[in-house]
Amino acid sequence: MDAIRLVINGTTHEKKMDPNMPLLWALRDVVGLTGTKFGCGIAQCGACTVLIEGKAVRSCSMPVRSAVGKDIQTIEGVEATPYRSLQQAWIDEQVPQCGYCQSGQIMNAIGLLESNPMPTDEEILNAMSGNICRCGTYPRILKAIKSIVERPSENNSI
Amino acid sequence: MKTTKSRRDFLKTTGLASGGLVIGLNFLQSCVNEVVNIPVHLEPLVDLENGFAAEGALPLTDFLQIRPDGSVFLSLTKYEMGQGVSTGLSSILAEELEADWEKINVKYIKSSVSESDITGGSTSTLLHWDLLRKAGAFAKYLLIEAAAREWSVFTDECYAESNHVCRHGSEMRLEYGQLVDKVVVPDNYRELFETVPLKYRSRFKLIGKRLKSKIIPDIVTGRHPFSIDVQLPNMKYAAVLRCPVFKGKLLRFDDSEALKIPGVEKVVRVDGVILDAATHIRDGVAIIANSTWAAFQGKLAVKAEWELGDNAKVEHEKFVADCLKQLDSENGTEILRIGKKVQESEMDDIISYTYEFPYQHHACMEPLNATSHYKVDSCEMWVGTQSADKIIANIEKHLGIPKENIKINCHPSGGGFGLRYSSEYAVESMVVSKAAGGDLVKMCYSREDDIKFDYLNPFELNKHTMGIKDRRPLSWDFKNVMANWGGLLGWMYYDVPNCSGTQITVDGFTQVGAWRSVMANAEGFSTECFIDEVAHELKRDPLEFRLSLLPRNKMVDFKHTYKCNINRLRGALELVAKKAQWGKTMPENDGQGIAVYPYMHGNGYGAVVAEVSTANNEIKVTKITASIDCGLVINPDQVRQQMEGGVIWALSAIFYGGTEYVQGVVQRSNFHDNPVFRINEIPEIKVHICENDETQPWGVGEIAGPPTYAAVCNAIFAATGKRIRKLPISKNINDL
Repeated sequence: MDAIRLVINGTTHEKKMDPNMPLLWALRDVVGLTGTKFGCGIAQCGACTVLIEGKAVRSCSMPVRSAVGKDIQTIEGVEATPYRSLQQAWIDEQVPQCGYCQSGQIMNAIGLLESNPMPTDEEILNAMSGNICRCGTYPRILKAIKSIVERPSENNSI
Repeated sequence: MKTTKSRRDFLKTTGLASGGLVIGLNFLQSCVNEVVNIPVHLEPLVDLENGFAAEGALPLTDFLQIRPDGSVFLSLTKYEMGQGVSTGLSSILAEELEADWEKINVKYIKSSVSESDITGGSTSTLLHWDLLRKAGAFAKYLLIEAAAREWSVFTDECYAESNHVCRHGSEMRLEYGQLVDKVVVPDNYRELFETVPLKYRSRFKLIGKRLKSKIIPDIVTGRHPFSIDVQLPNMKYAAVLRCPVFKGKLLRFDDSEALKIPGVEKVVRVDGVILDAATHIRDGVAIIANSTWAAFQGKLAVKAEWELGDNAKVEHEKFVADCLKQLDSENGTEILRIGKKVQESEMDDIISYTYEFPYQHHACMEPLNATSHYKVDSCEMWVGTQSADKIIANIEKHLGIPKENIKINCHPSGGGFGLRYSSEYAVESMVVSKAAGGDLVKMCYSREDDIKFDYLNPFELNKHTMGIKDRRPLSWDFKNVMANWGGLLGWMYYDVPNCSGTQITVDGFTQVGAWRSVMANAEGFSTECFIDEVAHELKRDPLEFRLSLLPRNKMVDFKHTYKCNINRLRGALELVAKKAQWGKTMPENDGQGIAVYPYMHGNGYGAVVAEVSTANNEIKVTKITASIDCGLVINPDQVRQQMEGGVIWALSAIFYGGTEYVQGVVQRSNFHDNPVFRINEIPEIKVHICENDETQPWGVGEIAGPPTYAAVCNAIFAATGKRIRKLPISKNINDL
């Protein structure tokens, strides 16, 4: 067990943990931020997606030691960023059903928009294809992301 | 059942002193609806066990609370697993209450006794429609009466509007919150509850509108309270290494390596149990640790020896072959008979095909989990479940804890789809807590556990045989083989003069359970593919042939709760055909397929037209047009959500479903070898809701699947000339 210092949503957390523990479980079980979800443990479903330095990463497959010193963003921090408009788009399009995959969907969409603010439909579908939803909310996920892309002026500073 | 003083006394002594109005509703159909007004404090909300267990009635299982600040709370006995009951049921209540929609809040129940509702069969809305309307209207009546008394006016001078009671022709208004401590519950409250006037449909303001979900704001911020997110003081984390073969036994285990893993605290034996035909906990070894990950690592390090038993000798292919032999035997129970048995000599022709619907995995996004605290003569659990009462009954049966000492905190969950109708995982977590000496443990399945120990949709074979006379169906015999679970539904809605349905149950070698749309999946798939084959062989258009066998104004009695309304079935079929432009010219290599199915558990009717392309030999579903008749529509957007989701659910099963066993062990393990549809694979989906004259809502959540399988397979036939009689299928047409 080592003392590990993580900067999550701008706040520093220092906790004792196994440095080989995946970031997902460090977030959920050690730090107590449970918005990031466990889905598969092998980077197949995207439920655990967080942003590391602005890039979408599957936290289930990243040892926590690799996240030390980096800017970690989770779903809990999105409201305080301009991407709250993406959360609003999720509400406007009534995307979620059970909601379990949606933290990961939203974080992955932010990662996409960070690297490509004006994606085509095909680019959206490709970028989001690593995130599984069992309820079948895919048509609405596409609509919600497109609504942000198509109305950039209303989403100041994204 | 708790004994307290009589309800009447209870009301008299406490009815006026309340800090909020609480109305309890007993949703058990066998009981009279109970209504009480009890004192509450602003925080925290009362739990169900406090004050609702009155003499002469079963403890109340649902309630409505109006607080002094005007906020309205509905506690759900129906389980929110993504199908939207929290929003739909709230809107029914709010409509009659004339509540401000923004002031409606949803609470999840704490079920302390075995009377919470089971959630399944697409029945939540239809079963609560009448009760929630009465609850809202009854509360509104009491509030109006309280206001009239305050103003010393007649009640008919008053009306309710947007969380206020108002007086006609004046500025007088009182907010509901200002009235809750002035409410008097009259002695004839039972009669009043049953006879309170309800609104005319034409005056509905919320029902039928696209109201926004009550739970989505919490979902998009990561705050939705899934049971896997429970965090409690002194909570440990548990993982269980289970016997890989159904009904196998643990001989011995070595935990020395596991205990060396940082964070692993204990390794304990879990004794399996067969509680009833559908409830099995496997033998296993539980690892108790200070994080989920440490528990998972510990599980990998435990070495266990098993006596795998007879199920390890079962080969899947042989099992299927044996089932096929059963179909040709004289075995089985006749569950349906219409008309007479027709001799082959009376027929001009016989058309007969057998269809195979495989085991299917749920793969809910939230892996199974439950948090349990065993305290010898009492216990508490935090869990997402479609059947809290089954959990309570099974804990009482297996661990001997009286049911009144069992407290279940119900959480919404990341998918249910029938998986959480099984209670095993929950009871198992309590067994683990007990084995760990009473530690409070959050037991979580890994994804591999969730797939390998899934309660699968049962394997089914359906054989349809039609006797033809003068180019018309004369007889239709439907035979089914199924392992372990459920039974033949036999919803034979086509107007064929002589029909029979026969069920053959065989012993399965694995565990099975409910899976969205249950037996209607296999029966809808087989019935609607078969009727398409018959239409083709008789050289009839598939739509026209179906309609010719669906006479208007007919109600068909399947000996089920509801009769099948052929007008509604036809309506769904005709609407989808029109919207999808059935029969339009399709490009070469493309095809259209059609199907319709009644889902009688929820009395909802659905139809689908699928379009597929086969360019470059690859089957691609390009468009799905779906229709639904779900009776009175509570929330059209939620109906569309459920239909979209049901279509995609079925598409996953068509192309990726099934499972494989080797020596009794499930071979699939995670999303790489148990794939499901991803966003870049889905077709365009259009949903159309039938206009209808129904005066109440019917089921929605399980309507889309059955017609989707068949419509897609019929479209593949139209495109390729190849009939699909077994799922899953390859996307490569050369493999069909």
